[in-house]
Amino acid sequence: MNKTVNINLAGIFFHIDEDAYLKLQRYLEAIKRSFTDSQGRSEIIADIEARIAELFSERVQNDKQVIRIKEVDEVISIMGQPEDYLVDDEIFEDEPKTSYRSSKSSSSSSRKLFRDTDNSYIGGVSSGLGHYFGIDTIWIRLAWILLIFGAGTGILLYILLWVLVPEAKTTAEKLMMTGEPVNISNIEKKIKDGFDTVTETVTDVAKNVSDSVSNAAKSVDVKKTSNSIKSSSRTFFDTLGDVIMFFFKVFAKFIGVILIITGAAALIGLIISLFSLGVADIIHIPGLDMVELVNAGETPIWLVSLLTFFAVGIPFFFIFYLGLKILINNLKSIGNVAKFTLLGLWLVSIIALVIVGVRQASEHAFEESYTEKTELPITVNDTLNIKMVNSDNFNSDRYHRNRFKLAYNENGDKVLYSSDIDIIVKSTTDSVAKMSIRKRADGSNYEKAIERAKNIDYNFEIIGNTLVLNSYLTTSPENKFSDQKVDILLYLPENSIAYFNNSTENSLHYRTYDGNIVSRDDTNHYLKILYDNVECLDCPEEDFDVRVDTPNLKINDNGIEIKSDDTHIKIDENGIKAESDDVEVNINSDGVEIESEE
Amino acid sequence: MKIENTKAQMRKGVLEFCILSVLKDDDAYVAEILGTLKDAKLLVVEGTIYPLLTRLKNAGLLNYRWEESTSGPPRKYYGLTETGKLFLKELATTWSELHNAVTIVTSQKTTKK
Repeated sequence: MNKTVNINLAGIFFHIDEDAYLKLQRYLEAIKRSFTDSQGRSEIIADIEARIAELFSERVQNDKQVIRIKEVDEVISIMGQPEDYLVDDEIFEDEPKTSYRSSKSSSSSSRKLFRDTDNSYIGGVSSGLGHYFGIDTIWIRLAWILLIFGAGTGILLYILLWVLVPEAKTTAEKLMMTGEPVNISNIEKKIKDGFDTVTETVTDVAKNVSDSVSNAAKSVDVKKTSNSIKSSSRTFFDTLGDVIMFFFKVFAKFIGVILIITGAAALIGLIISLFSLGVADIIHIPGLDMVELVNAGETPIWLVSLLTFFAVGIPFFFIFYLGLKILINNLKSIGNVAKFTLLGLWLVSIIALVIVGVRQASEHAFEESYTEKTELPITVNDTLNIKMVNSDNFNSDRYHRNRFKLAYNENGDKVLYSSDIDIIVKSTTDSVAKMSIRKRADGSNYEKAIERAKNIDYNFEIIGNTLVLNSYLTTSPENKFSDQKVDILLYLPENSIAYFNNSTENSLHYRTYDGNIVSRDDTNHYLKILYDNVECLDCPEEDFDVRVDTPNLKINDNGIEIKSDDTHIKIDENGIKAESDDVEVNINSDGVEIESEE
Repeated sequence: MKIENTKAQMRKGVLEFCILSVLKDDDAYVAEILGTLKDAKLLVVEGTIYPLLTRLKNAGLLNYRWEESTSGPPRKYYGLTETGKLFLKELATTWSELHNAVTIVTSQKTTKK
């Protein structure tokens, strides 16, 4: 039993067995390919089809009879093989011989972009593009390398193309990729050639054909010579191409190794950090509280670390995979589903991280302050001592300002500790000194910021004339790290005297400026408060320091030394010594000594 | 050097001349032309003739008209144009000259032996 197909051949209707139909179609396709349009291909084909229809009609007795493969074979033997049509051309010198070539170019517009995995180093993107644009793949590959060095855009673009461009899997797709018409004869040819050589271009076929033709016509000397010249030049360029390809391959492998190392190292690092961080978060390792503290947005740490892992890890995975692909030519593809999933995951991670970042940043959108005012028992002409103390509970390194940490207070509660304390000193015409303590904190809105500012614990003590300030602030860990600060504004009456202990050094500003009259340099001195300025009462007079060092005159710590051609005077801790050629004078603890040679 | 190729070339060289000669007196459709040529053993397979016919037609040596057929598709009846007739005359002259020349050359060889 056989399936039949209905065909219309030159306007006549035929029943034909499916296998016979396929054979006939292949036959007609092959003939069609033997001609070019300039030869009047469609007309010739129409004539041939009409003749075949006629021959079939002769063999069919009634309408119900079916054309079988036997009839097709008979007709083909009458009409001749496709080669019989083709060789025809060779005797007419004025006709173009390039029927194959032109048939290729006429269909080049129908090329489609596929990845050519048969000729691939990585994903077959380059060779696919090569087919598509009809240029040698090596140029595309060189362009990739240039793009990779151009800020790595090449890698990203390649990965995108790799993911998005489909692989040429079926024979039809492979034909479409090279721009050959998809027909039975071509497909049959490809299958016959085996899949290894599927990407052999039509040019090669045409070359083979013309080679065999010229072999046949080797009796003609001229042809022979030109042929040999052609082949020798081809060999030269082939060799050159081989050499270039060899270097390219070595280079590619080198890049592959680098990519693998980069990708693997990054992935391993990421996995380790993900595990240590994620696991630590889940089982509540104490050290992680610090991270929790900074995390004002209150996004779960494990989520952030996972997102970071994907956002950073996936590109590195592709780099790693790329490297593997370069080294191993026929590496099995991870599949489009996996690629798309990874790409999607990556994009989602990036977006999520941006959202987390925005949330985190919005926690610092508002900075608000809360001020407490106190009067100090200091009036004009009094002396105020100011010093800062740290708590034994928080053995902080006072040279590191703004250092946030978690600590335990005297009650054993966990507190957030910071040493971000600023002292600003201003003069006032009031008779009584005042102090403002301004607590500042950030928050995602006004209320939150104020709330956090109020929650700052800051203490001081006044003992007689001495103001004892804490060098730190504390707050509950629930307030998170929200840039808590304390500014201490001291308003000191003019003509009062202030003494800043050097424990205050870290809280004072480096320089005085408008509104702040005491700087770091003023500690450990008695300062008389003037209008917008201070006067140091016990600062040493500024050192007068002269140093001269010339061949004739030296003034330095050792004394003064004057030299000329015949005299030498030296004044130092030992005394005065003056020498000339004839006289020498010494004044020292022994007395005065004058020596004369005469 | 293959004998088949030479034979084929020789045969095909005169094929155009022969096609025109078949159509010298009467118009004919492809099967008739083929019949004559096949009877003369000038053609083995039919395929060869189609590109030739199209070529000759495109060169203006042949024209054709359609005629209905009782047993199959409509037939193309080919006939000589005026240029075709002139062309045929010239070819005929060339052929007879060539024939003479070839006869002289080949018979000379045999007498020498």
